[in-house]
Amino acid sequence: MIRDFVYSKAKTVKEALDLLEEHKENYKIICGGQSLLILMRQGLVAPANLIDIKSIEELSYINFKPKDGLKIGAATTHSDIEKSSSVKKHYPVLVSMEKNLASVQTRNWGTIGGNLAHGDPAGDPGPVFIALNATVKIANSERERSIPLEEFFIDYFETVLEDGELLLEVQFPVVPPRTATVYEKFNIIKNDQGIVSVAVSITMEKKGSSCKDARIVLGAAASIPIRAKKAEKLLIGQKLNNGLLEKIGKRASKEADPVADIHASEEYRRHLVEALTKRMVRKAWDQARKPAR
Amino acid sequence: MMKKYSVINTPIHNIDGIAKITGRAEYAFDIKLPHMLYGKILRSPYPHAKILKINTKKAEGLTGVKAVVTGKDTLGIKQGIWRRFKELCDEEILARSKVRYIGEPVAAVAAVDEDTAEEALDLIEVEYESLPGVFGPLEAIKQGAPQLHEHAERNINVTRHIEWGDVDEGFKKADHVREDWFRCSSQHHVCMETHNAVASFTPDKKLTVWTSTQSHYYIQVLLSWVLGLRENDVRVISRYTGGGFGSKFELDSAQFCSSLLSMKLFKPVKIILTREEEFMATKRRTPMFYYLRTGVKKDGTFLAKEGRVFTEGGAYTSMGATALYLTGFFQAFPYVWPSYRYDGYRVYTNTAPTSAMRGFGAPQATFCAETQIDLIANDLGIDPIKIRRKNAMYPGYEVPGQATIQSCGLSQCLDKIEKWIKSQGKLPPNRGIGIAAYGFMSGGIFNWFDTPYAFSSAVIQVKIDGKVDLYIGSQDMGQGSNTTMTMICAEELGVQVEDIRLHMGDTESCPVDLGAWGSRETLMQGNAVKMAAAKAKQQIIEYAAAKLSPNIVYDLDIKDRWVHLIARPERGLSYYDVVKEAIRGKDGQPIIARGHYTPHRKGMISPAYSFGVQAVDAEVDPDTGKITLKNCVTAHDCGQVINPLGVKGQLEGAMAMAAGYGFTEDLPMDEGKILNPNLVDYKVLRATEMPETKVIEVETYEPEGPFGAKEAGEGLTNPTAGALGNAVFHATGLSIKNLPITPEKVLEALKEKKKEEKK
Ligand SMILES: Cc1cc2nc3c(=O)[nH]c(=O)nc-3n(C[C@H](O)[C@H](O)[C@H](O)COP(=O)(O)OP(=O)(O)OC[C@H]3O[C@@H](n4cnc5c(N)ncnc54)[C@H](O)[C@@H]3O)c2cc1C
Repeated sequence: MIRDFVYSKAKTVKEALDLLEEHKENYKIICGGQSLLILMRQGLVAPANLIDIKSIEELSYINFKPKDGLKIGAATTHSDIEKSSSVKKHYPVLVSMEKNLASVQTRNWGTIGGNLAHGDPAGDPGPVFIALNATVKIANSERERSIPLEEFFIDYFETVLEDGELLLEVQFPVVPPRTATVYEKFNIIKNDQGIVSVAVSITMEKKGSSCKDARIVLGAAASIPIRAKKAEKLLIGQKLNNGLLEKIGKRASKEADPVADIHASEEYRRHLVEALTKRMVRKAWDQARKPAR
Repeated sequence: MMKKYSVINTPIHNIDGIAKITGRAEYAFDIKLPHMLYGKILRSPYPHAKILKINTKKAEGLTGVKAVVTGKDTLGIKQGIWRRFKELCDEEILARSKVRYIGEPVAAVAAVDEDTAEEALDLIEVEYESLPGVFGPLEAIKQGAPQLHEHAERNINVTRHIEWGDVDEGFKKADHVREDWFRCSSQHHVCMETHNAVASFTPDKKLTVWTSTQSHYYIQVLLSWVLGLRENDVRVISRYTGGGFGSKFELDSAQFCSSLLSMKLFKPVKIILTREEEFMATKRRTPMFYYLRTGVKKDGTFLAKEGRVFTEGGAYTSMGATALYLTGFFQAFPYVWPSYRYDGYRVYTNTAPTSAMRGFGAPQATFCAETQIDLIANDLGIDPIKIRRKNAMYPGYEVPGQATIQSCGLSQCLDKIEKWIKSQGKLPPNRGIGIAAYGFMSGGIFNWFDTPYAFSSAVIQVKIDGKVDLYIGSQDMGQGSNTTMTMICAEELGVQVEDIRLHMGDTESCPVDLGAWGSRETLMQGNAVKMAAAKAKQQIIEYAAAKLSPNIVYDLDIKDRWVHLIARPERGLSYYDVVKEAIRGKDGQPIIARGHYTPHRKGMISPAYSFGVQAVDAEVDPDTGKITLKNCVTAHDCGQVINPLGVKGQLEGAMAMAAGYGFTEDLPMDEGKILNPNLVDYKVLRATEMPETKVIEVETYEPEGPFGAKEAGEGLTNPTAGALGNAVFHATGLSIKNLPITPEKVLEALKEKKKEEKK
């Protein structure tokens, strides 16, 4: 049963921030409601005020500029991202990630801001965005701040967002040349949340065939999306071979800190981290090595 | 020559399809009555506890609350569907002194709206004394385990023994003996429409209940019993049922509590179970621990089989006793076993009761049996098809003391599947095709419910314009029986489907049928309908004969609305004209006829059996253990097909359900608490997981069925888990004997195998 609440609808970012300020701790932001309503129905969250930001037009956009990269407004839906031609062209991994995220209905309602703010370690955007080195822009009624997404998540369903703060935008830097970013989640039913997921981004040296930079990000393998930095280090400056790939997989698996639940044991999750990391590193490597478009 | 059938074997869409897809079909869910109240049920948070005290004062004081009922407000009757056996009637529905599973109802509230009712639940104070619980059958049967019911020592609820031939002798003669243990998991029905009811008790002491059920007759009888009303003062209406699969022919908490509340208030009360309640506190498929010992000759001839099973009963009997018998019977299916011994134990546990679910014990039996057969074939180096063909049941075979098989197309099914497998050529690595053979009953012969009525009845009235009113007692829950009955009636009477107006789902106007379970409708209700239609036809023909005045040696028939001489079809009259005259001649009375069916001298189980063989083609990812279904081909003998589209729908639905049982669905628990009572964590297959499916009909003629038809309902759920397991076996060399076959189990087995190989 959903407890009674007072509902307000903001039309602009300013209106929203004022409402947040006004209601202090006793509110919840609702955007697409896809995650929040489940919690409310289960009685796990019972806010006195609900502040709806879904109709704020200035929060719903996808802007790409060759020099600045990509900016996505927090209230942009998964479907909008999935269908955007500029995203498809410059950040194709986001399209494939979105296509496998939840059902069409959830994608039509759910927003990217809501997904990140929800702080679910099994969310798909988190690991992929971190692999793409994304930043988030956050504001309250007084100031604005930007932080790397990597520092955004704190614990299960907990982020750095403070009372009165609104997530405004996700920013993706321009993708360096000879870079490939790939992502796979392991699930049993397609489009379910991942039991484990792995995003890998590899940038090759301008010339030659060794790795210049690598990001390996694990989803649902700890309380937040985490980078397997030691595994990344094994790869940076190196050329990939099967022996190295094995080592990277093993290392990533060690860096994971998964828990057991009804869908998988801790051990199995570790195994999946290893298997998926190997698969994704190999895939990113092969793609990044291809001559530039 | 006229076509043999003008209606039967023509693919037609469900006659209620349009009402359903346009949202006009009125489910109990949709019923709204003036002054209707909403009810909610308080359920036990303990798996095992004494109820010391219930204080409802505060709840009653909440504004908007109209009544609260507890076990004290009931007659305290322990009810059950096995009415012939008193000790198997063990469930009160509203517990009076003891709760035995998490989710057992202890009180119910009626209020002006759902939110108020739910708020009131929080205000009911129940004082429990928690008792130690026991959660698995193997623990519960041990001496000294906590006992659930006073009458059941060592928690043994029911036992079953089946035996024929000389088993010990059989094993002595065997060249090869195999022993295996299996564990079959639970499964939930996941009906789209959760259990719900609107009950309305009026001052004339009559109770009307709109509900979602597979048997309005059972609900009528059970409600009248536990409420102390006359059977026919209870009217149960169930026009549409949003899924049943075995979950909806026992009396449920929504029906009972809404009735009790309505009787107290003389106002309609509606209760709809939430999805969570549905998962936690309605019935589910019976988990089983299976031991099988099997002896065969070197050439693969079956000699002896011994099966022992311990089933997790949960807190009450429900339909579990039937599942225990059927799993034993179908363990020996569909083969010729010269000797067989089965011992089954159903054990009470402090978990949600287990009961009927599509296949009714047979999917478990088939999974274990078919897995073991492939292992035996592998041990002996025999082809899986060949070993099955060698031992297959055949027409006229008698299962000693149990059943006589009349029609049986098993061998043809094996041929078709063998051909399909060969057409696939060599498979890529990590791919495998597994098969499983199966059979099922076309309706049960058992009458533990103790009905004095015929098992099925039908009434027909032909009106002046030739329109036919067909009254049946069976229940369509999506399986398409309304369409099947309409087709059988139209064919027999010689009219078209559009001429039939069907009346069903109401105990007040419909004759008794025991309901849609045990795959009984096509055969049993079908026979009753056919008999009624034949009798109505006879009356029409009498008038036509008078008019046509043919030579007495000619026979008449009706086909496509044409009443004619069989030998000279051009000599005839319009059906419509004859009907008009016939009614005039009957002094204005419509043509009325009745039909009924009860199996007599047809063995212990069923009058007829369906057969089939399924092949599942699956791929296993060696890195993760993940299984992907590629193809599923089923050769199926359901006798004469009535509606090919209906069979296809049944097959695809069964496939999704049974594959889910095989590799994704489960109800994990912690001390009796179900851990995934929602559709995010409970994994039902979706369209994306469905493989290509193909059905090959093998037609036989079943003398006992209407037009030769048999079941196409539950049987199709039997093979898939076994065929899937065998596909994994052929892809990887690993046999997983513990359902569901999850990627994690496959991977563990792969790792074990690698370790073994290193040694
Ligand atoms: C059936 C189902 C399946 C799903 N499967 C997947 C999946 O496979 N992968 C995946 O990644 N996700 C999945 N999800 C989750 C879903 O994608 C996201 O949680 C959803 O996109 C959240 O967006 P929303 O706008 O609906 O957020 P809401 O539900 O409205 O809000 C979620 C949380 O974010 C806060 N919030 C929302 N917007 C802001 C903002 N701008 N600033 C600050 N706080 C904010 C809210 O207060 C709330 O706490 C699934 C969800 C469902 C229901």
